[in-house]
Amino acid sequence: MTSIDNLFLMTLSGQSESGTVPPEGRRIIVPAGQHVDISLLLLHGNADIHVVLTGKQASCRIQTLYLSCQNNRNNLNLEVIHESPETTSEQIIKGIVTDTAHTAFHGIIRMPHQAQQCVGSQNHRAVLLTPQAVVMATPELEIYADDVQCAHGSAIGALDTAALFYLMSRGIAEKTARHILLQAMINDSLPPSFEPVVQEWMAQHA
Amino acid sequence: MALLTIENLCARVGDKEILKDFSLTINPGEVHVIMGPNGSGKSTLANVIAGHPAYEVTGGRLMFKDRDVLKMTPDERANIGIFLAFQSPTELPGVGSALFLKTALNAKRQAAGEKDIDAVSFMRRLRPRATALGITDDMLKRALNVGFSGGEKKRMEMLQMAFLEPDFCMLDEIDSGLDIDALHTVSQAVNIMRESHRSFLLITHFQRLLNDITPDYIHIMMDGRIVKTGDKTLAATLEEKGYDIYR
Repeated sequence: MTSIDNLFLMTLSGQSESGTVPPEGRRIIVPAGQHVDISLLLLHGNADIHVVLTGKQASCRIQTLYLSCQNNRNNLNLEVIHESPETTSEQIIKGIVTDTAHTAFHGIIRMPHQAQQCVGSQNHRAVLLTPQAVVMATPELEIYADDVQCAHGSAIGALDTAALFYLMSRGIAEKTARHILLQAMINDSLPPSFEPVVQEWMAQHA
Repeated sequence: MALLTIENLCARVGDKEILKDFSLTINPGEVHVIMGPNGSGKSTLANVIAGHPAYEVTGGRLMFKDRDVLKMTPDERANIGIFLAFQSPTELPGVGSALFLKTALNAKRQAAGEKDIDAVSFMRRLRPRATALGITDDMLKRALNVGFSGGEKKRMEMLQMAFLEPDFCMLDEIDSGLDIDALHTVSQAVNIMRESHRSFLLITHFQRLLNDITPDYIHIMMDGRIVKTGDKTLAATLEEKGYDIYR
């Protein structure tokens, strides 16, 4: 178990809440015309977040970074339910997994019959730093409405060896080159207040 | 003392032998050109010298400034003065071009026991070189090579060379994909950098690169080794007669 904690930051209707990730599931209701911003840094254990967009023009943006090392086992569940028409959601999930760690990511966007003219997106990208690291991703869309825009994508792989060589061929040491590429991947996906924890993790494990 | 000495170098990718007893000596201040048909091993040679991990060296020696390069990592090679301008430069999404240049220069300075460059000196070093190569501030703000045209990528390679000032510059088909004006700009960048302590190895298919750059030697490479060495007139002979007479 690492000493640094999971981090959670949420802003809804101008009210901010920050702390660690609640281990039990968290259900966040977003009423009409409101926007919620959720940032999550998962370093160990599980996170289970459900966002329900209950009124027109409700929207959410969920940014998640999971960093997993040693023999950790993590589960990340994200669910967005577009209960009302004309709602918008965006999920950006990134991960770095090393050693023999194992992360399971499950993300779903639900758009029931009444969820017309909704827009939803979910983008997941993870880098495996060792051959033994594992990410299992199950991105899902459950769509019953016929007038919606919905997209999801998931990419998991090792660091780009060509990019690594390119940086090293300019004199940059391998560890620094790796950090540059990882930092580039997770760029802009988290609030600045999470940065020191991310840097500490990278220095120790990446 | 030779800057670079290659003796009987053998290298392969997977099971395929590409360099076969390749030998070449480059002295300080010299410009060498390697020409040869596709698949003769020209790019492999450059990548092996730079330390690309995909190539396995199976025999021979590679000495640079009297040091055994084969034992060094790519970054160590770069920091003692070896530079490769790539044929197809890699795109690095999320890595800002200017920050990349600064990181690379500081890595070189740290390896030499010097302190990091300050912001003012960095811009003073970067700006005139960028201007000379037609690289705009906008390009320097963008992620390295991402969305750059073929010509822009080649000019960015030349900027890195001019900025890092290596002692040995390998240019792998720097002329491919360049229009006449860009080719002239790139040639000028090489000519400006020609100095008594710096050497060049140019890999090309075309004589036109040599309109502006006058080499000391031209080598013809076939099947993993040099089969003919001549002066600058060899390029014209090749252009006229092709490679068949050397096969």
